[in-house]
Amino acid sequence: MTVEQTDAPQIQHVRLTTTVNGNVVTVHVPPRLTLADLLRDELRLTGTHLGCEHGVCGACTVLVDGDSVRACLMFAVQVEGRQVSTIEGLEACATTARLKEAFTRHHGLQCGFCTPGMLVVATELIDGSDPRVPLTETCVREALSGNACRCTGYQGIVRAVLDAADPSPEGAP
Amino acid sequence: MSGRGRYLADLAAGALSVVFVRSAVPHALINTIDTSAAVGMPGVVGVYTGADLGLVNDHIAELHVPHPAFVDATAFRMAEQRLAIMPTDRVHYVGQPLVALIAVDRYTAEDAMEAVDITYSPLAPCLDADAALREDATPIHRHLRDNEAASIHIEFGGLTPDVTADLTVEGTYRIGRHGAVPLEGRGVLARVDARRVSVWTSTQIPHMVRRGICEATGWATEEVRVAVPDVGGGFGTKANVYAEEIVIAALARRTGRDLVWVEDRQEHLVSAAQGRDQTHRTRLAVDGEGQIVHWADDFTVDIGAGGLWVAGVVANTAIHALGPYRVPRARITGRAAFTNKTITAQYRGAGRPEACFALERSLDDAARRLGLSGAEIRRRNLLTAEDLPYPRPLPYRDGVDVVFDGGDYAGCLEAALELLPVEEIEALQDDHPDLQVGHGVGCYLEATGRGPYETGRVRLMSTGQFEVSSGAASAGQAHETAFAQVAADALRVDLARVRVRQADTDLVEHGIGTFASRSAVLAGSAIRKAADEVRTLATARAAELLGAPVHAVELNDGIFRSHIGEPGSGGVGWDDVARAAAPGGAHEELGPLDVTEVFRPQTVTWTMGAHAAVVGVHRRTGAVRVLAYAVAHEGGVEINPQVVEGQVIGGVAQGIGGTLMEEFRYSPQGQPQSTTFADYLLPSTCDVPEVRVRHLGVDTPGNPLGVRGAGESGTIAVAAAVAAAVEHALGDRVQVTETPISPALLRTALRQEQRA
Ligand code: FES
Ligand code: FES
Repeated sequence: MTVEQTDAPQIQHVRLTTTVNGNVVTVHVPPRLTLADLLRDELRLTGTHLGCEHGVCGACTVLVDGDSVRACLMFAVQVEGRQVSTIEGLEACATTARLKEAFTRHHGLQCGFCTPGMLVVATELIDGSDPRVPLTETCVREALSGNACRCTGYQGIVRAVLDAADPSPEGAP
Repeated sequence: MSGRGRYLADLAAGALSVVFVRSAVPHALINTIDTSAAVGMPGVVGVYTGADLGLVNDHIAELHVPHPAFVDATAFRMAEQRLAIMPTDRVHYVGQPLVALIAVDRYTAEDAMEAVDITYSPLAPCLDADAALREDATPIHRHLRDNEAASIHIEFGGLTPDVTADLTVEGTYRIGRHGAVPLEGRGVLARVDARRVSVWTSTQIPHMVRRGICEATGWATEEVRVAVPDVGGGFGTKANVYAEEIVIAALARRTGRDLVWVEDRQEHLVSAAQGRDQTHRTRLAVDGEGQIVHWADDFTVDIGAGGLWVAGVVANTAIHALGPYRVPRARITGRAAFTNKTITAQYRGAGRPEACFALERSLDDAARRLGLSGAEIRRRNLLTAEDLPYPRPLPYRDGVDVVFDGGDYAGCLEAALELLPVEEIEALQDDHPDLQVGHGVGCYLEATGRGPYETGRVRLMSTGQFEVSSGAASAGQAHETAFAQVAADALRVDLARVRVRQADTDLVEHGIGTFASRSAVLAGSAIRKAADEVRTLATARAAELLGAPVHAVELNDGIFRSHIGEPGSGGVGWDDVARAAAPGGAHEELGPLDVTEVFRPQTVTWTMGAHAAVVGVHRRTGAVRVLAYAVAHEGGVEINPQVVEGQVIGGVAQGIGGTLMEEFRYSPQGQPQSTTFADYLLPSTCDVPEVRVRHLGVDTPGNPLGVRGAGESGTIAVAAAVAAAVEHALGDRVQVTETPISPALLRTALRQEQRA
């Protein structure tokens, strides 16, 4: 029934050079390896979560050249020569830091599994929109509508994003 | 916070990957399982069927057996379940694990899976509880005479139904099959050493998982450790013991290798335990004023191929069918059926939302016929401060007679209506001309804090910090915050000094787990007891250090001081007490302060609440949108109001999902149809409104913290309130009797309305 054999199968590997969180990495990967698995398994950046692996839940969202993408739907080889930012890389981003604080204050997370994806999308939303036009609840809800949260009912998340987006020093009420 | 969580899949480095080959058919005899082609593939380490596992017990025992007094009073019966951990002869649902395949990584394992060849002789699938329970139905489990998994009968008040009734309404109400579907799926990691197997699993009940593993493998308790990493949501589906947990542990020891299985979403949607799927046939008799005279509900539950919590679900449904009302006479009967659908467990509410839907819908039906509003008929029946506490003539599952111990249920409804008055529909109607807007209410009762017990442990570390642990695993209920707060209060220290450890059978030897809104009540109370004891012991030690009599020493802001002697003279802190307990300290011989306590409640406490909903029905499509929502509930003392509110709001979102979009659908041949997030729809940011929550504190003497559970409060009455609001929006041209509510049904009503 069983054999003791642990050689990896002989699959052609491809050389890949990309920048992840500011560091240039060169790896040899099978062509079918997803970006999510590259980040999680090869680079041990486990803050990028997998909730569905078919592009619906948004838990795996990362930034590629500044735009949010679903890491479960991309192959690693597709980021050749591009800039990838994961939640770990956003540690240094002031907007993300403000968002994290606001998430805690507004109870925007319970289990925390959706949180990295939410933070990536919210960071993109805040940094990508005109700071002079205040974000409304409706546009925050629309921007986050591709990210599922099963715990919070979204209320705290939406409040946190509005709060963090408010440039006034006191934040939103 | 985020990015720091360590979920099961994040711990997998270095372990070999396991995948399961699962049954592709709902009901069949297995002819052959041929793994030979897969075995030789590069990267494959081993391929195992149920016959290779060497288990001493090939099935998992039920997780809950009601008290004999309850069984007697309710004629409760249940069948012995023997669903095989990995069957070799017969399959009972699509998704049942049949073969475990180990390979160097998941890609390789999934390739090799394709080479496993299983042939079946199909049997007719049974996909409907009523059909399964018919006398001539063929039993799907060979060791049983029929398909009845459990049955219950509650009757009191004696009178024949219609004696004083002016109006009797009958109905059939269905709650569809949906479930917990946490964002993180299940996963198990097992690491082996010479002595034992350590298992990390994304579970709410580590101690029960340990027991399940030991019972199936025959290992001694010390041979298994079960620890819980960060859990990405549970809601009941992870309060279960799974075949996969046993197989991974058994194979890790057998192969001597570290193994990990992380399910994918499709696997989750066909093989993780589901919930609900109930049909209620009701008969409600009221007098001319709308007061309940007699209430009868006969329900069936489709538990699929098996459900280790069947006793809990059936008993919960029956007891909660009584509602927060004056019900002088009732007859509640129910049966659970085995079918060829996926297994079930408890899902947030576990019978309560279903029972609530049946009673609340019946009340609305009676109200409409009497020309009363939904709020009015409830006002006339809800228990008030004068009625409470309200004893019911039957015992709870723990054998203790039921007494609803609330404050003023009628007042709670008024609070919900104050939060979201009917009048608000006018403004919302103006804002949404494309929708027809309506308002509805629903009330519920929730027994919380079920026993038998929970364990709490508090340790003073040598650093002067505290470590807290319990048997209740956190699956995102913010236990860390709540438990730390309970301990910090009792120890009179800053929250930052307390660290709450994730559940681990190494930290507390005994435990039950997190489900049924029990953690705050039970684990919280046990931690409180342990922290109190630590404080008492520490006071004695501090007195010695201070050279003062114990009775003179008091603890304030983390400092023990004696009020004898010079005022203002120094005290001793927790750090001093900790140092004294360490080797070389004054209390070296007494050893560290480390207390484990058990809290065993006398019985459950009851949380009552009222929901109000405003919905809009799209005039053309019939699609329903929830525009505003309010929940008022009679909780007890809130350890952390934000945590409780978060639980309620999250519960409402799940309730909205089950009411409007979520459903596990099956083809007529028994093939699951909801196998991706494109088919099984979770509510998104745009499907859930702001929820207004009001907490009406009603203390309970049932536990030292005075808390009542609230984990399910948000979910239970959503279907009832939303259904009522939909009917109101459509001017009562439609009767909503099923969830998920079908837009097609509403479109028909809308067209009739346009014609009229
Ligand atoms: S895991 Fe990528 S979208 Fe769900
Ligand atoms: S906090 Fe659990 S999924 Fe969002």
